Amino acid sequence: MTNNDKAKKKSKESGWYLLWEYAREHPFIYFVSVASIGLSAILAVIIPRIIGQFTDSFKAGTLDVSGAWKYTWLVFVVGIARVSFGWIGRLLAAQHGRVITYKIREKLFKKWESLSPSYYHGHSVGDLLSHALSDVEVVRQVASMGINITVNGIFMLGAALYMMIIHMNWPLAIAGLGPLIAIPVMVRYYGPRIKEQSAKLQAALGNMSQTVEEIFGGIRTVKAFGNENVVIGRFEEKVDNIVSERIKFVKLSSIFGALVPLMASLGFVIVISYGSFLTINRTISLGDFVAFLLYLTLLRQPLEQLGNMLNVIQRSSASLGRISELLNVPPMVFDGTGKLHNSPVKGDIEVKNLTFRYPGTPVNVLKDISFTIKRGRTLGIIGPIGSGKTTLAHLMLRLYEPPAGSIFIDGVDIREFSVEHLRKSIAYVPQNGFLFSTTVLENIAFSEDKADEEKAVNSAIITAVDEDIRKFPDMYGTEIGERGVRLSGGQKQRVAIARMIYKNAPVHILDDSLSAVDTKTERLILTNMKNEKFPEIAGRSKSTIIISHRLSAVMNANEIIVLDRGRVFERGNHASLVKAGGLYARLWNMQAGISGRHGFPDDDGANRTEMLEALIDEDAQTVKIKEAEEGA
Amino acid sequence: MAIKFKAALDILLPYLKKYRFRMVWIFLLVILVVSTDLVQPIIVKEAIDKHISVPHPDMGSITLMTGIYFIVVIAAFGLTYYQNILLQETGQSIIKHIRTDLFRHLQGLSLKYFDRNASGRIITNVVSDTEALNNFFTDFLANNIKSIFTLIMIIVFMFQLNIKIAAYCFLVVPLIIIISAYFQGKLRAINQEMRSRLSTVIAFLAENLAGMSIVQIFHQEKKQFREFDLRNTKLLESTMVENQLTLAYFLFTESLGDIGVAALVWFGSGPVIRGSVSFGVLYAFIGYIRRFFQPINSITMQLNVLQTMLVATERIVRTFNEKPDITEIAGAKVPAVKGGISFNATHLAYKEDNDILKGIDLEIKPGDRVGFVGASGAGKTSLMSLLARFYDPTGGSVKIDGVDIREWPLKELRQTVGIVQQDITLFAGTVLDNIRFFRKEIPATRVYEVSKMIGADDFIRRLPLGYETLLSEKGATLSFGERQLLSFARVMVFDPKILILDEATASLDSESEAVLQEAIGKVSGGRTLLVIAHRLSTVQQMDYIVVMDDGLIVEKGTHEELLKKSGHYTTLHKSGLLIEEALI
Ligand SMILES: Nc1ncnc2c1ncn2[C@@H]1O[C@H](COP(=O)(O)OP(=O)(O)OP(=O)(O)O)[C@@H](O)[C@H]1O
Ligand SMILES: Nc1ncnc2c1ncn2[C@@H]1O[C@H](COP(=O)(O)OP(=O)(O)OP(=O)(O)O)[C@@H](O)[C@H]1O
Ligand SMILES: [Mg+2]
Ligand SMILES: [Mg+2]
Repeated sequence: MTNNDKAKKKSKESGWYLLWEYAREHPFIYFVSVASIGLSAILAVIIPRIIGQFTDSFKAGTLDVSGAWKYTWLVFVVGIARVSFGWIGRLLAAQHGRVITYKIREKLFKKWESLSPSYYHGHSVGDLLSHALSDVEVVRQVASMGINITVNGIFMLGAALYMMIIHMNWPLAIAGLGPLIAIPVMVRYYGPRIKEQSAKLQAALGNMSQTVEEIFGGIRTVKAFGNENVVIGRFEEKVDNIVSERIKFVKLSSIFGALVPLMASLGFVIVISYGSFLTINRTISLGDFVAFLLYLTLLRQPLEQLGNMLNVIQRSSASLGRISELLNVPPMVFDGTGKLHNSPVKGDIEVKNLTFRYPGTPVNVLKDISFTIKRGRTLGIIGPIGSGKTTLAHLMLRLYEPPAGSIFIDGVDIREFSVEHLRKSIAYVPQNGFLFSTTVLENIAFSEDKADEEKAVNSAIITAVDEDIRKFPDMYGTEIGERGVRLSGGQKQRVAIARMIYKNAPVHILDDSLSAVDTKTERLILTNMKNEKFPEIAGRSKSTIIISHRLSAVMNANEIIVLDRGRVFERGNHASLVKAGGLYARLWNMQAGISGRHGFPDDDGANRTEMLEALIDEDAQTVKIKEAEEGA
Repeated sequence: MAIKFKAALDILLPYLKKYRFRMVWIFLLVILVVSTDLVQPIIVKEAIDKHISVPHPDMGSITLMTGIYFIVVIAAFGLTYYQNILLQETGQSIIKHIRTDLFRHLQGLSLKYFDRNASGRIITNVVSDTEALNNFFTDFLANNIKSIFTLIMIIVFMFQLNIKIAAYCFLVVPLIIIISAYFQGKLRAINQEMRSRLSTVIAFLAENLAGMSIVQIFHQEKKQFREFDLRNTKLLESTMVENQLTLAYFLFTESLGDIGVAALVWFGSGPVIRGSVSFGVLYAFIGYIRRFFQPINSITMQLNVLQTMLVATERIVRTFNEKPDITEIAGAKVPAVKGGISFNATHLAYKEDNDILKGIDLEIKPGDRVGFVGASGAGKTSLMSLLARFYDPTGGSVKIDGVDIREWPLKELRQTVGIVQQDITLFAGTVLDNIRFFRKEIPATRVYEVSKMIGADDFIRRLPLGYETLLSEKGATLSFGERQLLSFARVMVFDPKILILDEATASLDSESEAVLQEAIGKVSGGRTLLVIAHRLSTVQQMDYIVVMDDGLIVEKGTHEELLKKSGHYTTLHKSGLLIEEALI
């Protein structure tokens, strides 16, 4: 690594590049801003000079009314100019400071969009939020006030030093300014400590947001258990932690903030004793001595400001560090560099000897899985909890990266797809069916920029939720609340399935997405999905994977695989699996047995035919309902 | 402004009162610090006038003066530090109290509130609005006391010097007040806007972070980014306006100082030339008028901090003013719990005139095991949430053991009624703590016992640290069924008298479910059990089954009885049983 690279890397870590980057893009604005503030500082020094001249002419007795008029105007014009330049400089800097925070928030959001689920497993939403809430706020301070205070401070410091040096005799200047040498030492000592403590404080704030987010996200559970006092206790812990970290921080920063101007005061002490000695010795004149003291007082304010500024810089530096750490997290799934597969997917799926282990864990959760699904066919996956069904679905979507040469679509390894193309080709209903707090319509039409209402309604008809939606006060325009709290469990699931249908992808994956609807509706949905009634979104050409615990959802699949602890334990179709008498048959007996888990009912031969007929009847009815609806 | 200020004060005052002695002490300290600042030039002046610029300077007394000066400097340093720490400690304690009180208050609010308010907004309220009070303690208080103190001193000096000119200088005061009032009004409005937009941004972020995998799976990153940008841009706009306003205000107050000097030069010269005022007085006034405006400027600059704080406080007050609509009546006593439930013509509407439950009549005897089935959206979950008093019925009543549940103490009610909910929530912490819900008084052995019983022990022990494994973000690395088992164990540990399972086994395979049911069977001696399920095999073992449709109970009876009726239940049952239909 060359030095240059190292420097770059360092600045990447420290996060200051976020500010520099932007400043470099707008050099002119920053130049004008710095220049204006500088100019304003210069003008500020001129006013006392004008007053001085005014005084002189008075003393000389040369002042008349027109002279007074002239000085009035001078003071007025210079004063207004000073304020205006200061205003311009501050305005430019501050407005851009705000733009920077805006950009940082955008960057954060973009980054978050690129991070994989495994990242989110290690980082809580609340803590991440705290980056956009508290850290960005800290950065804003330095970005908007920084320039002003620094330029002002440096200028005033420079002016005071300049005055001292041109008027001064050297020994006194060296003696008076000597203590200031300690300042860089203090910065070196306190700087990193303040920064570290500030980072701790920010982390504590993040911790609190995490707790708040989590507890209010699970408020129903907290209330159901009457557990309010326990969570209040947990919250108090976090708040106590913030208080103690903050006090530590304040201790460090205020001692530093006070030490810097103290150095000027100590210089003052030295000058008084040493200067008066020199005055008495007639080495310097009394006037020089007094003037020197005056200039030394001028040092105090800018030093105080600079001390504060250094504090703010350390704080921001901590927050910038946290932000840039986040921004530097590499996204997990990369598109390969080679030529990416981009042609439309037909829907032939093949999984070959797939073995998978979650990164950082010891055991394989999938072992040597193989199956094929021809275009338009359906695969059912069942298996006990934790057997790896969801993992399989996630791998197909490359939410986790599958091993090379294990999953193929249309004969192409999905790792050779662009992630975008792959995810466009697969429509998925996750097991928890997360919904957004927007309207029903926007949720169903999530996969498109602009909601196509007709398509959304059709999707809802297919998933048998249209009727429910029409009963809502605002129908498709109903806001469904955070994560869909205003919907029933089954409605949530069906809206999530409708969202999948709407996407109209060649491959459908349903991950236990019918568990909260009754079996009748389940059947209706599965039938509709293969129906050619709405060819633009559903039909026989879709390849489908249905993961379920309820066997009624998979029994009609072309092939069913039974997973157990990550292995394919049994495979076949419903009839053959029932006959085989293994796990599937056992589950089947439990779920279908009229007398509970005691096995197949003996008396159902006649019954079954009867039921079948009734159901087919029903199917005919549902189609009729839909037709009626369409006609209307 | 006055009202807002009062509202803010009302909330802050009790906290400040608690620390009133400390606040007085801090006030004195600030004055002390200011005095040390002011005394320094006086010492120097003394030293020069009396000891240095005399014909026969005495090195000893000069050293003495230097010593005094040194002491004052060190004292100033120490006092500043001490005052700062003290103020911060006090401020932090106050903020801490406000925060915990706010959190406690929020915990007491009913679900209606949470249905309405996104958690992102609540986070902004608890985390950021309270944090805005911090500035008040760091800068505002100390700086303003200092400014006011200096201002008073300068005013006194000015009046001592020349009452007439001083009075003229005061002509600007009403102007400052009028303009300030104008800007303060605007600043408050924009601050309100800004805070509310910030909370919109945060709410959007919170939701999208939680649902990021959906965004990614549907490949809607660009769309969501645009949505975010929309909100973020709005926030930017209002911060820009706020900044412009602040700076316009700054432009005004800053220029007043210089205009004041110009005016003095102009109006002062006449009398001086005429000789009615000495030049020294005019010169001194020019100096004073500049120093007069310095503290005024710094006060006006702090007024924005004040606005931010007022608006934040207002938002906090608004939350404090939310009253829970589920409350317990004073002195409610716990009846002896047996577990009988009765719904009497119970109605529930989440929105007015939109009844979800349309008159439920149901009597459940203690120890009954009842299954609930029915179309999705029929109102099963809603019915159960009445039992835990998540909501109160809009008509009719719900009684447990003959006592209207509104007359029960809430805590006991919720300990009596245990619900395994359709949505699973786990918290950051160990598996053990999740199962006992962070109640340290529940022994670990009890947790092990329950987990074994319901068949969760196996998978928990397979986790890297077993029961001590830290769950990552809400249990995201567990499979769904595993999460469901944990939430099941959590309810069982608390051993409620009335146990409600709302689709509690939907994510379980039938074998795990069988283990569970056996466990429930074992412990349910005398326990009332209500089970909602779409998988009929789950409920057919129950004493009787209640079939719901569209907010009403339509059938009731045992599995066999209901099958004979060929009603709703039979249809549900049949579709579950359908075999080998050629759909494909
Ligand atoms: N992100 C992860 N990191 C580590 N382990 C994981 C992760 N996600 C799941 N697991 C583990 O992998 C196993 C398989 O999980 P998976 O979610 O695929 O099960 P599943 O078959 O879908 O179960 P269920 O029917 O309960 O949904 C489980 O034991 C689970 O604890
Ligand atoms: N918090 C709420 N605010 C407004 N409406 C709600 C709320 N909760 C539920 N609803 C509505 O009340 C009706 C009944 O919902 P409920 O959750 O009780 O049904 P359910 O019988 O449990 O259905 P499922 O079997 O799908 O879980 C639904 O139409 C739903 O949209
Ligand atoms: Mg799963
Ligand atoms: Mg429900």
